[in-house]
Amino acid sequence: MTKLKYMLITASLSVALHAGLSIAAETGSALKNDNLRYEPYADAKVTGSFSRGESLQILKKQGAWLQVKTKKNTGWVRLLSVKRGTTSTGNQTAGVLAAASGRAGTGQVVSTTGIRGLSEQELKAAKFNETEVKALESYTSTTNQGKQFATAGGLKTVAFSNLKAPLKTPQETPGGESK
Amino acid sequence: MRISTQHLFNKNMLISTLLASLLAGISLPSAAFDFEGALKDAVKKQIDPNADTPSTPESQNVTTPAPDATAAESTTKTEPTINWKNPSKEEEIALGREITGNLLGAAPLVKDEALQKYVNSVGRWVASQSDRADLPWHFGVIDSEDLNAFAAPGGYVMITKGLYRKFTNEAQLAGVLGHEIGHVVKKHQLKVLQKQQLLNLGAGFLSDKLAKDNKLANKAIGSGAEISARSLDKSAEYEADRLGVSFATRAGYEPFGLAEVLQTLGQTSKNDGSVALLFKTHPHPDERLAALGDAVGSKLDNIKNGKTLENRFYKLKN
Repeated sequence: MTKLKYMLITASLSVALHAGLSIAAETGSALKNDNLRYEPYADAKVTGSFSRGESLQILKKQGAWLQVKTKKNTGWVRLLSVKRGTTSTGNQTAGVLAAASGRAGTGQVVSTTGIRGLSEQELKAAKFNETEVKALESYTSTTNQGKQFATAGGLKTVAFSNLKAPLKTPQETPGGESK
Repeated sequence: MRISTQHLFNKNMLISTLLASLLAGISLPSAAFDFEGALKDAVKKQIDPNADTPSTPESQNVTTPAPDATAAESTTKTEPTINWKNPSKEEEIALGREITGNLLGAAPLVKDEALQKYVNSVGRWVASQSDRADLPWHFGVIDSEDLNAFAAPGGYVMITKGLYRKFTNEAQLAGVLGHEIGHVVKKHQLKVLQKQQLLNLGAGFLSDKLAKDNKLANKAIGSGAEISARSLDKSAEYEADRLGVSFATRAGYEPFGLAEVLQTLGQTSKNDGSVALLFKTHPHPDERLAALGDAVGSKLDNIKNGKTLENRFYKLKN
């Protein structure tokens, strides 16, 4: 009897562990309709497609690409086509934390900590603070200091033109709150 | 009185918005007929999208945009004298300083000199890749657990400590600063202020002409840091995202830093008060990512060796 109990516990434990592992693999969802490709290149063979809102599993990242698994296929897609994390509306943990810190529900910061907030009302009521502006100005870097800082980090300028608006304007979500 | 900036952005709707306000009797005096034509012309002249082009020498010294506006001078005495028609770089900076000072009145700088200097180094380098490298750029981390960032005309960029806390490397910081630098470069806030000021001038003109009710004499920047709580047009946010990525990429950073931060923000519940203002004034991060994806296409495919520099990323002390 005890042995059976032990086995049962072991079995359920391993189930739990497996469940834990599969949850740990990152999930995501499609931000737009896009193709899956065999390799992380724009000209690689198309192996499938997915539509906006579809959930995906993110397997790997390589440069500007993610390897993802849909219900039907596996393939590579540009990372800006994928939202990481789940699509659910309410992040429960965040909700609990918000409640605990007095920031629940209304979208208004209910500050109980005495820290001044940045709500619309608080911004409106703000008074000019010369001391802080002077402090801000004292931290300013010159162009040369910026350059030295870049060199120290091994940053090298890259030729790249400013991104232009795509010809097709991005679709607006009706209501916008459906996420 | 507040007129939504979205409406103001639509020039065609400007007049009708005004008229609607008048009909609703919100607070404008009722003599629309008088100023409609004048205002319409002034709007056209002053907030032309091409207003960035150098003006003729004559117009550079004009401090009052239209003869009508002289009457409004009394309503604008409290603010720095600004040529609203075509503000000089110095005037733009003075305006940004005023707004930033008000914002700092709501949330002061984090008292960590090393942090502030670090953010100025990164910001200065990114700004040097922008189309307005000549501005005296100032960057600051302000003491708030909200997730937000603010830009003011003339090169002032503030981010909250709460947002900074979400970063895991320097490329992400560079991307977010790049977005704000983009707003300054494109004078997004300045244009909103110019439009607001124009409305004030029009209203002031009427008030003085008609009677004593001069309560509309709002400063263009509103009270306190109100301007920092206003929304820009959605397209301005998308443009700033594209520029943020462009500047950070040119600066040698891994190009997806901003996108990573947007991913993080997108996972924040909209019920979390720390993103209330950010979500109210910006398109949802998912929309921004999708729009960015449309603009980027294959353009970043050949950008290799961009740096993230997590090793030297400055960690907050608390």
